[in-house]
Amino acid sequence: MTDHVQESPHLVEVRDLKKWYPIHKTFLDRILAGRQNYVRAVDGVSLSIRRGEVFGLAGESGSGKTTTGRLIVRLEDPTAGEILFDGRDLARLGPEELRKERRRMQVIFQDPMASLNPRMSLGHTIGHGLRIHYPEQSDTHRDQIMEIMEKVGLFPARYFFNKFPHQISGGQRQRVVIARALITRPELVLADEPIAMADVSVRAQLLALMNDLRDEFNLTYLFITHDLATAKYICDRIGILYLGKMVETAPIRTLYAKPLHPYTQALLAAVPVPNPHERRTQPMPEGEIPDPIDPPPGCRFHPRCPMAKPICSQEEPILREVEPEHFAACHFSEQFL
Amino acid sequence: MSDEKQEGTLEVPQWQLDLDQVGFVRRIFLARRWFGGDWWFVAISAVLLLFIITVGVFPQWFAPHDPRAEVGPSLLAPGEPPAEYVLVAPIDAAVTDIRQVATSSNRIGFVIGSPASQALREVTDRITEEDQAAGMDVRYQPRPVRFELLEQGLEALRAEDIDAFVVEPDIYEEVAGDYPEFEVATLLRPAGDSGFVLGTNQIGQDIFSRIIWGTRIAIIVGLSSAVFAVLLGVPLGLISGFVGGWPDRVLTLLMDSLYSFPGLILAISIAAVLGPGIGNIIVAIAVLYVPTYFRIVRGQTLAVKQELYVEAARSLGAKAWSVLWEYIFPNVIPSVVIIFSVNVADAILTEAGLSFLGLGLPPDTPDWGIDLARGQDYLRRAWWLITFPGAMVSIVTLAFSMLGESLSEILNPRLSEL
Amino acid sequence: MDAHTLLQVRDLHVAYRTRLGHVSAIDGISFDVHKGEILGLVGESGCGKSTLGKALLRMLPSSARIEGEVLYEGGTDLLNLDLHALRDFRGRRASMMFQDPMTSLNPVQRVDEHIVEAIEVHEPDTSKEEALERARVLVERLGIQAQRLRAYPHQLSGGMRQRIMIGLGLVLNANLIIADEATTSLDVIVEANLLDQLREVREEFGLAMIVITHNIALVAELADRVAVMYAGRIAEIGTVYEIFDHPSHPYTQGLLKSVPNIKLDEQEELYKMPGEPPNLTHPPSGCRFHPRCPMAMTICTEREPDMIDVGSGHLVHCWLFDQDAVKSQASKKVSS
Repeated sequence: MTDHVQESPHLVEVRDLKKWYPIHKTFLDRILAGRQNYVRAVDGVSLSIRRGEVFGLAGESGSGKTTTGRLIVRLEDPTAGEILFDGRDLARLGPEELRKERRRMQVIFQDPMASLNPRMSLGHTIGHGLRIHYPEQSDTHRDQIMEIMEKVGLFPARYFFNKFPHQISGGQRQRVVIARALITRPELVLADEPIAMADVSVRAQLLALMNDLRDEFNLTYLFITHDLATAKYICDRIGILYLGKMVETAPIRTLYAKPLHPYTQALLAAVPVPNPHERRTQPMPEGEIPDPIDPPPGCRFHPRCPMAKPICSQEEPILREVEPEHFAACHFSEQFL
Repeated sequence: MSDEKQEGTLEVPQWQLDLDQVGFVRRIFLARRWFGGDWWFVAISAVLLLFIITVGVFPQWFAPHDPRAEVGPSLLAPGEPPAEYVLVAPIDAAVTDIRQVATSSNRIGFVIGSPASQALREVTDRITEEDQAAGMDVRYQPRPVRFELLEQGLEALRAEDIDAFVVEPDIYEEVAGDYPEFEVATLLRPAGDSGFVLGTNQIGQDIFSRIIWGTRIAIIVGLSSAVFAVLLGVPLGLISGFVGGWPDRVLTLLMDSLYSFPGLILAISIAAVLGPGIGNIIVAIAVLYVPTYFRIVRGQTLAVKQELYVEAARSLGAKAWSVLWEYIFPNVIPSVVIIFSVNVADAILTEAGLSFLGLGLPPDTPDWGIDLARGQDYLRRAWWLITFPGAMVSIVTLAFSMLGESLSEILNPRLSEL
Repeated sequence: MDAHTLLQVRDLHVAYRTRLGHVSAIDGISFDVHKGEILGLVGESGCGKSTLGKALLRMLPSSARIEGEVLYEGGTDLLNLDLHALRDFRGRRASMMFQDPMTSLNPVQRVDEHIVEAIEVHEPDTSKEEALERARVLVERLGIQAQRLRAYPHQLSGGMRQRIMIGLGLVLNANLIIADEATTSLDVIVEANLLDQLREVREEFGLAMIVITHNIALVAELADRVAVMYAGRIAEIGTVYEIFDHPSHPYTQGLLKSVPNIKLDEQEELYKMPGEPPNLTHPPSGCRFHPRCPMAMTICTEREPDMIDVGSGHLVHCWLFDQDAVKSQASKKVSS
């Protein structure tokens, strides 16, 4: 089916990915402004995901994390940059080939209610991937669907098979979404804030499920989240995005123990801890996330950074390896070591 | 192994499992508790419509008479049995049989507008037939003379301008005293024992039978035109909304221009161009509604296209056709169903309007619109001519509308079962 | 009555009539709010916390039936106030913050006009200049530059809008703010700033707050006392230290073990609580948590327990703390 030149250790490689959305102003505005403006949602992101790992992509709103994820699975087309999936540049594939490649990369969306067709029964929804990519096995489809339903915890499967999304609970719906994503045995799963909308007491169940399935199906996850506390329990490595750029990336325990970028430090300190004896005393950077249309010059975080120096507004720091496996984009990362 | 899995799974509560055992019919009744008033609306209008459609498909079972036949005296009120009529003539004339005064050289008088004339005609036709069948070469065709008032007629009889006068015996009784030289010569027509449930129209056709047969036309035209409009408008709307681009713009422009015409006028123009005939009426009305379906379906398609589950389907690798058929179409259909019922109601009204104006159907077709047109002039004298066809139009329109409106509430899948 | 008590809620019941039957959203809740304290109301979806917040200010739809007492400063029963007095109460004495301030701020009204209007409605003797001045001073103290006052709500960020909402409460010297998921839609750094803001405001103005959220870590950061709600009832209530250090109700224990903790040396594994929050049209019998409770006894399936005091104001709604019940119930019910 696929012929790749060599089996690279990285399932996904992204190089200098950019996604700029043009702002269509009126003709008059364009004359007055002199140029077309863009929302720079993703502005030069590079990362690589190893087979079998869970790579977390974290950031606040406007960081570009969701857009990056969508670009990687080609739900949208990049403005610039390379995306290599298993060594192949997805941009070179024609529409029919791309459609077939989709079997190998699936998505778990954030809102289970919105991502399920309200008029399709659950069994039908889950089996859709099979019908698309393995139509010749149609007599085994029902069994396969039942099997995966039970694996994700929808038990008894025959009870749920004919139900519709509005007849089951939120946690169950997310399991349906997971089942749908995994039935074609993909290699890469993009999980876009998969547990954000589930109840607190159910989230642990879903996380455990995702971990178990990762082992069983040999999956690689790209886990997008804004919740750094949750990320600790599933991610192997994590990348922090700010305003369309990657500011730091490292194995998760390393990053949490020793963040090398002021933004990461602020982010980690801001997360509330469920322990009243460990309340945050550190002050937070003021200000808001700037406008992605007109990002600050130099380092994008410099207007809010408590330790900004003149160089920060002039020269944009590049993402570099400050210590083994630990990359940061700050001129002064060394002092945090 | 299964225990491990159970730890994370939920326990399906017993009441949910029980609910599954319930059969479809019982579920319909269970729904009554859930939907309250709407359920009753749907139930009542569904039953009503089922009945109406049965009547439309098998009118011969329900109509007591042939709708085109003159089965009774004209303008008979609902339930009123045909009146008795007698012939009044001078005693000297010694009239004992209608035949004596019914030849073409005779003149017979009656009060203008009364069914007397029709009774007279009925009788003379009958005796003509009978005598001709018996071999006689005769024709009974007295010349009718109309009078504004009874007194005028009797004066004319006295003055020998007419030979006999047709009148109801009770009415004559009141004035008989003033005219001693007259007598009730003979019975023209005995009283009928039963009338017609909804009366008769000016030609003597049974109104009840006519509206029963009218149902057939209404149902055929209403349903067919709605079905054609759906078959044309829905796919066009789906494709237009899904594909977008310039085909979408061209189609939208076309549909919007059609839509901006006032309905009845557009139907009239099309019907006038196509000519008479039930098929052409159906086409004319169908064209009228295509833009409505197109717009609604296109709008819904555009909305559904943005939904996350459609994107999820794309991310699975689904082909465009599959997305359209399995994801967009089922979510667009509920709105079509609702419009359909209201559409049928409106089509029946439009059809009635068209035939009211004399377009499309042959003049004597038992059709509500035609009856409404013909009965206009008789509103004061014989209100039943237009009341009942009008009521039928209202009832059937209402039934379809009720069904449509109440279905909209029930068909909504977002209704959470908490 | 304690001079420190601001609000006393006694036996509050809120029920809705829905398509599928009678839903008892809140089923007999009693608690106090003291002056100047921050009470955290924690629970999952469907536990009734939002309903409770709205019920206190009588902002529920008319299909809801409310019973019980909500006593303000020991005297007025909020549930019995006539509409005029209620309007006065809302705004001057208590104010509410919602999750999305866009829906509570008028999109076609500038922010300063909004605040001035609030002042004018409740304190009609104030002149316009005075009102504007108060608004400006307040907003600056909340960290928003004065010139942003002329903006429309959509021109401000989420964090700023929430601060305006705090401002609306403060400008009329309210002594209670009810915040219903006020930080849920905010980014974590903005949320942290807002928390700091709320703490400062409480220090300076002596406001009491009821913070309604599903985020347990948030109450740990902010609250003085915590009430844990489950399926329309309070499972446990106490000081924040009591609740986190000595969680007594099995639900609280399970919940705390299942909450992610970003600190590396804490909470290495998440506890998976079995089951899901119940469907309130068919609530479980007796104690509503029993189907998911690892320590359920037979009595738990039959009857609801009382609120039992386990020391220093820490109340637990559980049979495990009723000595008689525990002694007579030897057997443990199989829960799954």
